[in-house]
Amino acid sequence: MSGSDLQTLQIETPVFQEHETASGHTVKFLPLVWSAIWRQRTESLLTLFALTVAFTLFGAMLALNAAYEKAIADARMDRLFVTRRFDGPATLPLGYREQLARIPGVTAVGGQIWFGGHEQDVHHGILIMFVDEGMRAAWPELPLSQADWHALDAMPAGIFLTRKAAARRNARIGGIVTLNTAPGSRADGGTSWYFTVLGVVPDPPGWGQWNPDLIIANMRYWEETSDLQERNGVNTLRVAIDRPEHALAVCRAIETRFTNANPALSCVPARENAQELAEANINMRRISLGIAAAGLFMILFLCANGMAESVRERLWEFGVLKTFGYSDAGLGFLVVLEAAIPTLLAALLGAALARAVDTFIAHLAVTGVINMPEISASSAAFGWALCVALIVALVSSVAPLQRVRRMPVGAVVAGR
Amino acid sequence: MSELRQIVAVILIGLGSLRSRYATAMVIVIGMASVVGVLTSMLSLTSGMTRAYYTPEDARRAVVWAGTANFDQSRSLHRDVIGTILDAPGIARGSDGAPLADAEFLMRLPTLEGFADGELNVRGLSGAGLAMRPAFRVVAGHMFQAGRRELLVGTGALRKFGLGVGGKVQLIDGDWPIVGVFTNGGDILESYLVGDADTIMAATRRHGYAQVMAQLNDAGAYAKFAAWLTENPALAVSVERKTDYDLRQVGSQSAFFTDMAYLIGAIMALGAMFGVVKIMYATVRARTREIGTLRAMGFGAAPVAASVLAEAALLGVVGALLGAALAWLVFDGREMWVWGSFRLHVSANLWALGLLWALVTSLVGGLTPALRAARLPASEALRAA
Repeated sequence: MSGSDLQTLQIETPVFQEHETASGHTVKFLPLVWSAIWRQRTESLLTLFALTVAFTLFGAMLALNAAYEKAIADARMDRLFVTRRFDGPATLPLGYREQLARIPGVTAVGGQIWFGGHEQDVHHGILIMFVDEGMRAAWPELPLSQADWHALDAMPAGIFLTRKAAARRNARIGGIVTLNTAPGSRADGGTSWYFTVLGVVPDPPGWGQWNPDLIIANMRYWEETSDLQERNGVNTLRVAIDRPEHALAVCRAIETRFTNANPALSCVPARENAQELAEANINMRRISLGIAAAGLFMILFLCANGMAESVRERLWEFGVLKTFGYSDAGLGFLVVLEAAIPTLLAALLGAALARAVDTFIAHLAVTGVINMPEISASSAAFGWALCVALIVALVSSVAPLQRVRRMPVGAVVAGR
Repeated sequence: MSELRQIVAVILIGLGSLRSRYATAMVIVIGMASVVGVLTSMLSLTSGMTRAYYTPEDARRAVVWAGTANFDQSRSLHRDVIGTILDAPGIARGSDGAPLADAEFLMRLPTLEGFADGELNVRGLSGAGLAMRPAFRVVAGHMFQAGRRELLVGTGALRKFGLGVGGKVQLIDGDWPIVGVFTNGGDILESYLVGDADTIMAATRRHGYAQVMAQLNDAGAYAKFAAWLTENPALAVSVERKTDYDLRQVGSQSAFFTDMAYLIGAIMALGAMFGVVKIMYATVRARTREIGTLRAMGFGAAPVAASVLAEAALLGVVGALLGAALAWLVFDGREMWVWGSFRLHVSANLWALGLLWALVTSLVGGLTPALRAARLPASEALRAA
């Protein structure tokens, strides 16, 4: 028996004397667990760091996956996108709005047209989305309040920028945003469009996944200012319908009504559109789950190995505890607690750090070409991390527990 | 015994005792396999996509756009400027003496019923465009003919959308039959349908091409070719090397993903590194008697430290090979569709990157345990055992 073993035994004996008191059962185990964890301080800390990093990755990937799921879930089935069926130069005639509004189930129709150019130089592109009055009802999720709509009415050359768009340009209320184009975009022959910033509005839920930022302008200004050939048209019509379950039927009715029109129309519910885009791009949802699984595998292997090693090195101690009358269940509890404390702690730290990783990932996306949905910290991510930590602790303890249960107590205590 | 021989001897002794520390050693192997497996799997996407967009001939090619409309779906390059563009210096000539340059475009087709999750496009090109694609082969049916409603389907689009010879797709003027299936060396063109550009333009009332793709005499001809076009007052065009355009296309779709792969690889490597430090500390502890004995026999500190580092590196490399092999087995050659068909590619470069990644992680992780092993006084080490 080594000196350190004797010391451990001396500490643990009082615990044995009192361990049968039900209320104090867990509390009396804690010094034992703590001494086991702190036995090899450096290695315990390193295990904790490794677990924390793995949980950080796990949490970050879960949050990323949830953000993509949410972006699709936020896209509503009672909103329809109506565009040209065939690739072509012409926009959709504004007159389609009234025809669509007469289709049963349609409650509102709004039009939008995108217009692009560059700001200070050709490397700084800018896209403006002009929307008409119909969007108030057809796209109520657009982050414009009644006051904002009034402001747009009062100043047709005004624009609202989402926070991302404003931050990218360091735009301030009252400032001017300039869009430059090739000749021929304006009826007056000019090539520069000057917009006054009326306000900064929140980014619409799920918006960032498909476009870097959003700048909203008044279509009336477009209709009054653009080249005559460009007027009376929109790129997309947004349609609101009475019930989500009518989406496919209304879409079919729209496509049928406009089959022989020029241009013919194509219709898709907003949620299906979001789903299609997610599938067409690199599928970050599936990939993030795969990476989370790899992180989980690392966690499990590391933890299981740590527990196996810890129990192997302390078999004598477990033998002594058994000799003193500790039950297999009691020792099992001891081993599971020893595994659970670092994993739970790592899960909490990792879930907190995951937020920072996700912020960095979002930063990568914003500075790159692709944008992505807003990733928000959720209690669900913490909950998942804690659940996984507990499961990992339990699974990691199975083999060491079997070893403790089957060990020949006499031989182990005798040091054989 | 020389220092080098001591190092070799101690490394061999350390590795010889690995069998008794099998389970702990596996933590490093599995951890590193996870790191390298995830890294190479993710990067195989970028590698595969790059392979699909680049062709060997691209180094000698240039793309001419109408102004800033530098994308395949543009319709801004009008017919009346094409002749002037083909007069530019430096364009290679075919066997018939005609310039090897082709006005082309990409046109989106309506979504096919039951295939919502992929965009079907048709590429309009002409005989010169086909002559510029030496890998182009019709593998079923026959070649499309100018002036007729005929399209070919690439093998990628065939697999994705189930379109084959006898199938039809809808253009604005009605149904167009598919008369053949083609391959083009596995590049991105196989994701599309192709047809005669002028016939499609006439049928769809399209007035402009997207680009002129030109084969140059050599890569050095680009500067003169570009200058002639951009400085020509009769034209309002921009010019780009085909390789730059490839980079732009691949980059727009994969840059974020590639950054993500490196970020995740770095995070996983950090976790694995802590694991390596922990395991190697435990190894040094388990080998204390052995190290003490060696030191007592006159072995130096450096060979002892080297043996710890060598063990960490070896386990890391084994893990990296396992991870890369798994990525190769599971993902290499697997077809994906991201705005087009391509196959994931676990290239030799990715294997090398994985090995380097694991080696650096293992060596950094093994450093402090190696120093601890080197500093173990022989007498103390023997007593501790």
